[in-house]
Amino acid sequence: MANLQHIRRRIKSVKNIQKITNAMDMIARSRFNAARDALLDNLPYVDKTKEIMRRVMMQMRGREYEHPFVMTRDELIANQQQADGKFLFIVIASDKGLAGSFSSNVFKEAHDTIEYDGTSESTSLDDDGDDENFHKKNFDALKSVKPMPTRTQKQQRQMSATGGVAKASAHRGGGTGSGNLEVAREYHDANYIDGIELITVGRKATTHFQQRGYNVIKSYHGISERPQYKYAKEIADLVLERFASGEIIDVTLIYTQFKSAISCVPDDVTLLPIITDDYAKSGANLKEEYIYEPDVVTILDKFLPRRLSTRIYGAMLHSAASELSSRMNAMSNATDNAQELVGRLNLFYNKVRQAGITNEINEIVGGANALE
Amino acid sequence: MSTILLEVATPDKGDVYKNGINMLITRSIVGELGILPKHARLLTELVPHAMRIKEGGSEKQLFISGGFMEVTPDKITILADAAENPEDIDVERAKSAYKRAEERLSKKNPDIDIDRAEAALARAKARLLVKGVPIP
Repeated sequence: MANLQHIRRRIKSVKNIQKITNAMDMIARSRFNAARDALLDNLPYVDKTKEIMRRVMMQMRGREYEHPFVMTRDELIANQQQADGKFLFIVIASDKGLAGSFSSNVFKEAHDTIEYDGTSESTSLDDDGDDENFHKKNFDALKSVKPMPTRTQKQQRQMSATGGVAKASAHRGGGTGSGNLEVAREYHDANYIDGIELITVGRKATTHFQQRGYNVIKSYHGISERPQYKYAKEIADLVLERFASGEIIDVTLIYTQFKSAISCVPDDVTLLPIITDDYAKSGANLKEEYIYEPDVVTILDKFLPRRLSTRIYGAMLHSAASELSSRMNAMSNATDNAQELVGRLNLFYNKVRQAGITNEINEIVGGANALE
Repeated sequence: MSTILLEVATPDKGDVYKNGINMLITRSIVGELGILPKHARLLTELVPHAMRIKEGGSEKQLFISGGFMEVTPDKITILADAAENPEDIDVERAKSAYKRAEERLSKKNPDIDIDRAEAALARAKARLLVKGVPIP
């Protein structure tokens, strides 16, 4: 039979945990308010940038215009025939855990995009039509010219995405970075890993992808809850530099979009190159042409990098608000569960106590009867 | 009098200005521009300056620290790095920024970034202008 003291101790420890989760809930709540305000203040700017971008790009279509970031899909293929560029992914997740499935949702979306090989129908392929994941299209287009590594079976890859690698490396007796890379190379194709680079924001994202042997070229820690524009600018500059030099041909951003306090969905957005084909279908034809002061190249040279860094900054803000709201939900659930557990344990405690008392009475009565 | 919608957005303060106006006088990297309703489509970059907004007979000034402007026949969109109404401007800070930038420029030290100092000077000047404070 359970010991009364044991149960008491358990009730106490559950209560203590409840205090902690409650405190974390309140902390997340107040930080969340700040993050949401920051996001809401940023939204009009990002939306307007996007609108302008769309109008300009719609008009750009079919025009003779040379800019390294703007091309048609045919040009993309032509470029790739000359140089062998890599795919770059920027993954924004959190520094800390205890936020429910926040990070794992991002990673799932990331693996879905990163490991896309043209064979599987994806769920996020057709979001809004105009929005903005062209990586898969680019991939499909490039497949014909770039000798895409023959990959292992989808099932096997999925296993590796969900911890198969970690298990394998544990089997080998401790996973150092290089060990992991080797294991990953067994699971994936070596070419495949080599063709991908990652920039990660958030400690969780970094460890997740490093463990799986991906090549993380830069990572940012300690800024996931409170993003700053200068980091977004840094990432944008790095991306632009690598893109301009031809080292990478396709940049995709994976982050969590904040829709409301109870709904955060992972989203992916292709940042570069800007493929004019994809803007063709969106909306009416513009008859009037823009006047560019002083001229189109000067303006776009300034405007496109700006658009890139605001996009990244916006995504960071979205991710921060999502992270904190996920943590808020997770912690308030944990507090509720603890409350329920304490209730059940109390009931159990009383039952055990009552059983003990009944037992003692029985013994006394039994003893008295024996004396008669 | 016909009006045109003016929207000024910044990355960290949302919509700073949103209203129908009669005329906007602004300064782009190529020079001053006056925008009236039904203007042709235009995309340009702005320099730090004091923007003049004419609205219902009165005139208002708004500080813009550079950014981009898109004009369509019925709407002007300005994406500014920062934008401030006169009442939000910190005069002391602008004055000290002005002095600092001027000192830097006058020293002609090869280590300093001339472009940055000049931009800072222009920003401080525009802020003081919007506030109506005489430039020291």
